[in-house]
Amino acid sequence: MNTVPHNSIPSRTLFTHILLLGVAVAPHFQHLNLWLVSFYFVLTFLRLAVANRIERLPGRFLLLLLSISGLAIVALFQTRPVGKETAIGLLVVVLGLKLMELRYRRDIYITVLIGFFIIITQFLYYQSMLLASIMMCVTLGLAIMLVEVNYIQPPKSPWPSIRKTLILVGQALPIMVVLFLLFPRLSGPLWNLGLDNQSAITGFSDTISPGSVSHLSQSHAVAFRVDFTGPIPEPKKRYWRGLVLWNTDGYNWTTGKTAYSQAETYQAKGKPVQYEVTLEPNHQKWLFSLDLPAGHVPNTRSLPDFQIQAIKPITARFQYKLLSYTDYSSSGLSNAKRQQGLNLPDNITPRMRKLVRKWQNATTSNREIVNKALQHFNQEEFIYTLSPPSLGNNPADAFLFETRRGFCEHYATSFTLLMRIAGIPARVVAGYQGGEINPHGGYLIVRQSNAHAWTEVWLEDQGWVRIDPTAAVAPERIERSIDLDNWADGAPVQFQNLDPGPLKNLIRQLGFSVDFINARWHRWVLGYTNKRQNEMLSLFGLDFLKGSALGIAMVAVTTLVVLIITIGILRSNRVYTDPVLKTYLNFCKKLAKQKLPRLSNEGPKDYAQRVIKQRPDLAEPITKITKLYIGLRYGQVNSPESRIFFNRLVSQFSP
Amino acid sequence: MITAIDLSRFIRRATPDKEGSAELTARRIYILPTRYGFLFGMLLCAMLVGSINSANNLGLMLTFILAGLGVISIIHTWHNLLGLRIQPEQINPIFAGQEAYFPIRVENRRNTPRPGILLEFAGKTMSGIDLDSNKSGELSLHLPARRRGILKPGRFTISTSYPIGLLRAWSYVELDLSCLVYPEPGPSTQHLNPPSYTPSATGDRGVGTDDFAGLRQFRQGDSPRHIDWKAAARGKGLRTKLFGGDRADQHWLDWDALPGFDTEQRLSRLCRAVLLACESQDEYGLRLPGVIINPARGAVHRHQCLATLAHFEMGSSE
Repeated sequence: MNTVPHNSIPSRTLFTHILLLGVAVAPHFQHLNLWLVSFYFVLTFLRLAVANRIERLPGRFLLLLLSISGLAIVALFQTRPVGKETAIGLLVVVLGLKLMELRYRRDIYITVLIGFFIIITQFLYYQSMLLASIMMCVTLGLAIMLVEVNYIQPPKSPWPSIRKTLILVGQALPIMVVLFLLFPRLSGPLWNLGLDNQSAITGFSDTISPGSVSHLSQSHAVAFRVDFTGPIPEPKKRYWRGLVLWNTDGYNWTTGKTAYSQAETYQAKGKPVQYEVTLEPNHQKWLFSLDLPAGHVPNTRSLPDFQIQAIKPITARFQYKLLSYTDYSSSGLSNAKRQQGLNLPDNITPRMRKLVRKWQNATTSNREIVNKALQHFNQEEFIYTLSPPSLGNNPADAFLFETRRGFCEHYATSFTLLMRIAGIPARVVAGYQGGEINPHGGYLIVRQSNAHAWTEVWLEDQGWVRIDPTAAVAPERIERSIDLDNWADGAPVQFQNLDPGPLKNLIRQLGFSVDFINARWHRWVLGYTNKRQNEMLSLFGLDFLKGSALGIAMVAVTTLVVLIITIGILRSNRVYTDPVLKTYLNFCKKLAKQKLPRLSNEGPKDYAQRVIKQRPDLAEPITKITKLYIGLRYGQVNSPESRIFFNRLVSQFSP
Repeated sequence: MITAIDLSRFIRRATPDKEGSAELTARRIYILPTRYGFLFGMLLCAMLVGSINSANNLGLMLTFILAGLGVISIIHTWHNLLGLRIQPEQINPIFAGQEAYFPIRVENRRNTPRPGILLEFAGKTMSGIDLDSNKSGELSLHLPARRRGILKPGRFTISTSYPIGLLRAWSYVELDLSCLVYPEPGPSTQHLNPPSYTPSATGDRGVGTDDFAGLRQFRQGDSPRHIDWKAAARGKGLRTKLFGGDRADQHWLDWDALPGFDTEQRLSRLCRAVLLACESQDEYGLRLPGVIINPARGAVHRHQCLATLAHFEMGSSE
């Protein structure tokens, strides 16, 4: 019956616990060195092999030896001075050693706490919904372990502990939601630990050279998502302007200094497009806008040539609202800028000049020259490909006259050079073109594979005009996306078939659903910044809550939630009282008010007799009630009618 | 130990009602984090700072769900004790030097189970139980009895750290627990036990078992083993054999028969003598200064004698 709490860890709990810890650590294995991973594996295996024969666990000496070897592995194999990986390596070593000390029930607390900490370190690397769900399950599992060891006798079935934990977590969820929504968000970190190393950058750098865009294009990664307030513009108008490249040395194209020049202006035609961009972190400063943007994004600089540049590189998901006009005519080219737009590198070859002279001889209109150049790309044997052959030191020349295989940056840069030779100011614009509409979310997904480069030429009557030489070669590029799945190395680019067949269609539909959920995840979970918090608060008219006021509000709402849950717990678990008894106690209370309380040792019959003796006037109702009560509670009377009658008798009873 | 002011007077504790049972009510339950609970709190702080610093919303979510779990389990841990009824069970007397055992009934009047209920006394966990819904169970408290007399353990603690062990709720309970401690049985003293044959004034009434004392007419209820079957066979009718000797081993256990010993030594020896007399089913009486218990037999008599020894010169008697 009664026992001193069982001190050893039940086998089921032990094995589940070690397994859960393994799952919590596992994603770290890819950035830990093999020695460390093996160290953890060996210790886990040892602990599982020992199971409940805890006397076989390593003694103090062996444990010291293991600790030293673990620390040595961390010290010897760390890649750079004290980085994130070193800290995590240490954590894994400590967890492994603690497994060796997992003897009694109380030891489980330490490993559970380390487990929680390891889970949070996972989020420094990955924030996908999948990982978050797995880690949520592990957290739940570890909580179940805590409940399991708090039984006196090891529970035979795990269900009571699981049930209890689910209740606990279920009640903790509203608290989490309140804290998450109301916890005051800071716009920047408290301090920089210097642990964030830039890894895996996908996006434009500030230089474009042959191959840089095509390299980017091979990634399926999302560059940004766009929510439109109105209808989504048609595909051929989806030019996402990023960098404007003026300067070239004949190989690389760079933006050059444009900050202090006179701002360009344009005359908008048609209706504006209103949208919000959610930019994935790219560790660059470029923001992308639909050609051409109007208005300003906070915390950014708007450059004269309609580039938008963040003040600091974008390391976290960034959202901004913009207005754009897709039809416009621009004006305002200063002489300095005109000069910059005509600058030629040293490596212009005679045959390039010869080609341009041929067009110039045919016409004097700049517009006609542009058209002739486009015709040239269209009619000659130019091939649009993701992996063009290497081009040497003079890529423009080699591309135009020898290989004739290239991606958009080849077309855009060489076209720009040809225009400049012809005396037409021209510049290269890099960004994205197109994007897929997610039918579930009604938003546009722009991927790295949509990366694109085009040309803008200055025509006196129209201002800067967008010319996309790629469209002359592969007009499908503008209407459809590149089909990366069917793309073979070196082959001409295939475009996504408009009717890809049922299976592929299904896969695409699934992909859209996943991306929709993912987008919401990014928007509401990962992207819930102080800005979105303000938006959320203003939705409820609470945007005056800021800083410490918000903190107080958070505490108040949390307290309220806890109070409601407490009341819920107390109400749902009240001691069960027979309704008949309740009614009878009500009757006693009425008499007690008349200074005739029932004594604790008095049965209903004795009580009735005593009261009747003192108040003979009440004899009739008291006898009736008492008789019925005894019948209902102890006797054979059981009909619902008699219960109702009993209730009525008591409620009508007024001494 | 605080001696100047007895702080324990200010501690709220559960005291017994008229029926001797105590209920753990809301105000009587204390709750604090355990060692691991404090560690958990520190961990949460570290996780919070880390998450803010890296603007990591998933980290914040994990921190907040764990914080929520901690807050919710305050209620659950407290609620695990709330309304628990505690009642002493019958306590058997023991001899000094033995361990006194106090069984304590805990009753769960709720439709949900209450696992992990512990009884702690003098800083040690004595016993624990997982109570099912609407069930009661037994916990126990035991402590060594060094001296004869009445042993009162006083206040003990009912605690729980269910469900997650990061918090401990407890309640001080002061039930009317007392255990009668007989003196420790000393070495047997030969000259205390010589049977002192006292002739019976009314004669031997044949209720003993040792010596044949005569025959009488059979009566309903007599043991068939005592029927004189030989006589019956001779046609003399059913007669029952009577045995006497019930006064044979009657003796007095006398305080004054133990000169040269101090009080405790005498009581110990007298205690042993009572036990020996019981073993040999003798009839015995007890003579202490100021107390005389007439010779008799049986469990009640034994308890009376031993209790008298236990209470002798202890200032209280029952």
